This record gives sequence, C-alpha cells and structure tokens, in this order.
Amino acid sequence: MPNILCCFKWVADEAYIRASAGKELDLEWVDYKISDYDRNAIEEAVRLQEQYGGNVSAITVGKPDDTKGLKDALSRGPEKAYFINDSSFQNLEPSQTAAILAEVIKSQIDYDLIICGEGSSDLYAQQVGPRLAEILSIPCVSFIQKLDIEQNQLIVERKVDDGVEVLSLPMPALVTVLPDINSPRIPGLKDTLSASRKPVVDIGRDDLSGNFESCLQTMAINKANMERNGIKLGSEPQDISQLVDALVKQGVIGGVK
Amino acid sequence: MAGIWIFAENHKHCLELLNPGQKLAQKLGSPLAIFLWQDKELIKDYVSHGAEQIFVLPPLAADQTLEAYVPLIADLARREQPDVFLLGSSLRCKEMAARIAASLNTGLCSDCIAFNLNDSKALEMERLIFGGAAIQKVICVTSPQMATIPAGTFEAGPAQSPGEVRIVELADPLPSVVKLIDKKSNAHQSANLTEARVVVCVGRGLEKESDLGMARELAELLGAEIGCTRPISEELHWLPEDTCIGLSGIKVKPELYIGLGVSGQIQHITGIRDARIIFAINNDENAPIFDVSNYGMVGDVYKVVPQLINELKKTIK
Ligand SMILES: Cc1cc2nc3c(=O)[nH]c(=O)nc-3n(C[C@H](O)[C@H](O)[C@H](O)COP(=O)(O)OP(=O)(O)OC[C@H]3O[C@@H](n4cnc5c(N)ncnc54)[C@H](O)[C@@H]3O)c2cc1C
Ligand SMILES: Nc1ncnc2c1ncn2[C@@H]1O[C@H](COP(=O)(O)O)[C@@H](O)[C@H]1O
Repeated sequence: MPNILCCFKWVADEAYIRASAGKELDLEWVDYKISDYDRNAIEEAVRLQEQYGGNVSAITVGKPDDTKGLKDALSRGPEKAYFINDSSFQNLEPSQTAAILAEVIKSQIDYDLIICGEGSSDLYAQQVGPRLAEILSIPCVSFIQKLDIEQNQLIVERKVDDGVEVLSLPMPALVTVLPDINSPRIPGLKDTLSASRKPVVDIGRDDLSGNFESCLQTMAINKANMERNGIKLGSEPQDISQLVDALVKQGVIGGVK
Repeated sequence: MAGIWIFAENHKHCLELLNPGQKLAQKLGSPLAIFLWQDKELIKDYVSHGAEQIFVLPPLAADQTLEAYVPLIADLARREQPDVFLLGSSLRCKEMAARIAASLNTGLCSDCIAFNLNDSKALEMERLIFGGAAIQKVICVTSPQMATIPAGTFEAGPAQSPGEVRIVELADPLPSVVKLIDKKSNAHQSANLTEARVVVCVGRGLEKESDLGMARELAELLGAEIGCTRPISEELHWLPEDTCIGLSGIKVKPELYIGLGVSGQIQHITGIRDARIIFAINNDENAPIFDVSNYGMVGDVYKVVPQLINELKKTIK
C-alpha cells in the first residue's frame, strides 16, 4: 500500500497573459489555476490509491496567499496537503523549488512514490521532478504515459523521441506524467466542500534551513507579440473564392503539383 | 580545467550543437568536447565539425538506457569543470540534463532558443514561458552554465579540415536500478513537416478519426504535410506524436499554414509563429486563433473544407 505524494504548482493562467493589452507582462489581474499537467499528476496518484490502497498527499511551494490552489488540489482527491509558503517563494527557478521540496520531503514525509507533472504551465522547464529525484537519491523516469505497480516494482511506459519504452524500477521512486496518462476528474460540489475539512501542514521559511539561492537569474521577461491583424471572412461561396484569390496573390498556392 | 561540452541523442543534433559550441569555444578559449557512444565512425565527422575532445561512453547492457550515464557524466563534470554544457532537448536528454544539473548544483536553461555571450562572458539565454506568451532571458550564475537546445535551433556548420583530437574512453557506469523491459519504435515523419511549404493542421474541431480524410484531400491538393494539435496526437492518437506542432512538439515555418478546427491556444501558436501566412477555419468567431491569423474564416469545417477543395481544384491545374 503505497504512500503517494503529488507535486503541484499554482500558476498564472497564460490565456490571460496573452489576451492582455500592451507589451509589458502584467500579472496583476490574471487568474490562477493548478498547472495543467499537475492535474494529471494528482489524478494518477488518486487512481493508484483507488487501485492499490495507501494514501495520497499533495505538496506545493508557493506564496502564503495561494490557499485557493490548496483547496482546488484537495478537492481532486488527496487527503492531506503540505503547503510550503513564504512571500519570497514566488518566481523561484527550478533548482530552488526542487531544493525546497527536497528538504521538506526528506525531513517529514514518508513516501514510496512521488508524482510530478511533465512540466509546469508557466515555466515548462521540465526540471523540478528529475532534480528532486536526484537530490533525494531515488530513481526517476520522466514523461510516462502508463503506470502500474507489480510486486513493489513500478512498471512504466515512457515516451522517448523515437518510440515508447517499458521500464521497471523499485520504490521509492519519482515519475513525471504526460497528459495522456489519464483524464483528470472534475471536482463536484461535495468534493469542494470536503476539501476545506482536510488537513493542511503549513510550512514557513523559518521551518527550513537551506538557503535556496538561485542558479538562474532572470534578466528580462518580454511579452511575445504574435498578433497579426488579419482579415476575417464568413463562409459563403464568395468568401471562399475571395480567400482562394488572396492565397494565389500571396503566392502560397498555385504552381503546386 | 575548462571546456564546452555537447551531448545530444542523434548525429544531426550533435552537429547542430557543435556549430555554436565551436564559436563559444573560440571566444572563451576553451576546448570543445562531445560525448559519443555506439558508433566510433562518427569521431571523424565530429572532429571536422570542431570537436577537440571526444568522450567515449562504454556500451550499455541490454536492460539499461542512456540515463544510466548520468552519474558518470556528472562525476566527469566535477573533475573537468567545463564552462558550458549544452544538451539536445530530446525527452531523454531533458531528464538527463536536469539530473546532471541537480547533481552539480548548477542552473539549467531548458529549451533555450537563442543565446549570446555578454561582456562578462556569461551566456544570456532566451526561452519561452507562459506557453510562449513571453520570452524570458536568463543567465546561469553557477558553473557549468547549462542549457538544453531544441533540434533545428541551430544549423550544422560546414565540415572543415580536422584538427587534433583527444579521445577519452570513460569507465563503465554502475547499472541503474531502472531497467528496460521492452521497447517499441515509431516510424518517423516529422522531417517533412518542419520543411513543408504548406502545412494543414488538424485540431479537435474534427469529430472523428475518419474526418482526417478531408484534411488529407486538402493537403494532397496543396502539396502540404499534415500536422496536428497536441490533443489529436497525445490524447486521441489519430496522428503520430511527432506531428504535434507547438511548445511540446515541433516548430514549423511554412509559407502557408491552414488550421482546421484549431482553437489557437498559445502553446500551439508558439509552434507556428514563423509561418508566413496563417489561415484558420473555426466556427467560433471568438477563437483565439483568429487574432494570429492573416485570414480567418468563421465557419464549420465540414461545410467549408469540401467547398474549398472544389474551389482549389478549379484554381490549381
Ligand atoms: C505545458 C503545455 C504544453 C502544451 N503543448 C502543446 C503543443 O505543443 N501543441 C499543441 O497543439 N497544444 C499544446 N498544449 C495544449 C494546448 O493548450 C491546447 O489544449 C491545444 O492546442 C488545443 O488543441 P485544439 O485546438 O485541437 O483543441 P480545442 O482547444 O478543443 O479547440 C477545438 C476548436 O475547434 C473548433 N471547432 C469545433 N467544431 C468545429 C467545426 N465543426 N468547424 C470549425 N471549428 C470547429 C472549436 O471552436 C475550437 O476552437 C499544451 C498545453 C500545456 C499546458
Ligand atoms: N512550486 C512548486 N510546488 C510544487 N511542485 C512544483 C512546483 N513547481 C514545479 N513543481 C512540480 O514539478 C513539475 C515540473 O515543473 P517545471 O520544472 O517548472 O516544469 C510540475 O509539473 C510540478 O509537478
């Protein structure tokens, strides 16, 4: 019966960033969400618990006011959450996040399996999982699309650039999951209500001893402008012939075999 | 000790990374080294592309995968103290890079799309964040400075007359507890897609797999290659995974991109920003794809595409 820990991040929703006007990146009014693929990480933990028993906790590093994310995560099935928070814990780079998670996990969490998303929706660095495994000195497999437990071994299917590999590894271990490993359930009203009664272990900066200095320094962040002020057409026959004419004029069709 | 180190999974990607690696090596006065396993025939090729050192990794047991080299490479880096370590961003190398970086306690710029050396000889590296909605510029203040670099970011340089080379044979790694049980390879296609002049991209606006026929007919008529959004390849598995366009897939740069039922989420758009003309068909007039299109057609793909095919047949003889 495995003890499973899933790592999730509470992130600014990139859809708001793109839609916001201007060149500057303005995060003041954006909405937040659980990083997309961390929903798959949580779902996989809960699915494994349903199949094999054991228990599931969720863990996150963030700012003290990220409590909405905790509730959201707990409504998806974990029975407990670890909330490592400090006002300085924003804009962390992956080496810092991994070091903070590692310190807490080493000192106070009993685990057999740690599940991360393949990458966070904001940074998409795809580092925190494998870094964490390395610091904890446990085996890891990234980018998995299927997970089973057989006689205390994990059997995983992992994607590589030229195919799929089936691997086995002993626990404790860490995996990072691809979105197609499952379809995250949508929490209902009952789940949301019960989430607020679940225990949350609050861990502050003072509870930690590491200095967590950053290895990467951000020099600048610029909004990428991709807007093209194009022409909008209907779908009547004249629209279609107008379009084809335009594409011919642009030289992108015609003259093709 | 010093060095500019290169590690990538395949030959082509190695050559691509040797090119900027060689420039860095010259500017930093540091030898250019590359890792190699399996085929020693490649040494000549790497040397004529600037490699001055070859680290030859020993063969792996049948149940081991490339990641088993991680402790070995990290140890070597601790001894040799390279200045810069560039890896390809294949899935496997991303994991290896992150673990090596953690082991060396250094920073790693994932999916670096451009870099330059600043006045204090630090690499200023650019990468996409927020799904591609913003570009982050970072420097790595620890050593080695590490980055993973997507295939196709750089071009391989021309072969030159080879210089001196130092070949270093590395010891066997300890076997990893992660064991390979089985492997299925998939047939590759995407080389055509990244070079295609016209790309027809299929999104979830298509209802069923057989509707791909309509996209294929359009593609054939235009001499186009077929690409798709991530849900089509990763969730529905209608098309091979290496035809997924976007942040976690490939980048395309066609003269014409046609999106069929593609919503235009930022992670997808990131992969088509270099297309010259973007044309999208979507029945939701507020779909974000229209903001980034040169031509946007509000309509049902099932009605529009057959008409478009007819019209094109008249035009293209
Ligand atoms: C970290 C991360 C990385 C990602 N990487 C990628 C990536 O590399 N590539 C990628 O593609 N996605 C990626 N995604 C997913 C991305 O966010 C979107 O979910 C995805 O691109 C949406 O695909 P879609 O447009 O096919 O589907 P949907 O968003 O479901 O859009 C379908 C569209 O079809 C339209 N439609 C429906 N019926 C019709 C009809 N009959 N006629 C015309 N239009 C119709 C709808 O209006 C809708 O706009 C990533 C996500 C994350 C979080
Ligand atoms: N602040 C965080 N708190 C908890 N887990 C995180 C955090 N940041 C990243 N992770 C985990 O690490 C994965 C990869 O993140 P990244 O390296 O930023 O792409 C995410 O999918 C999460 O599972």
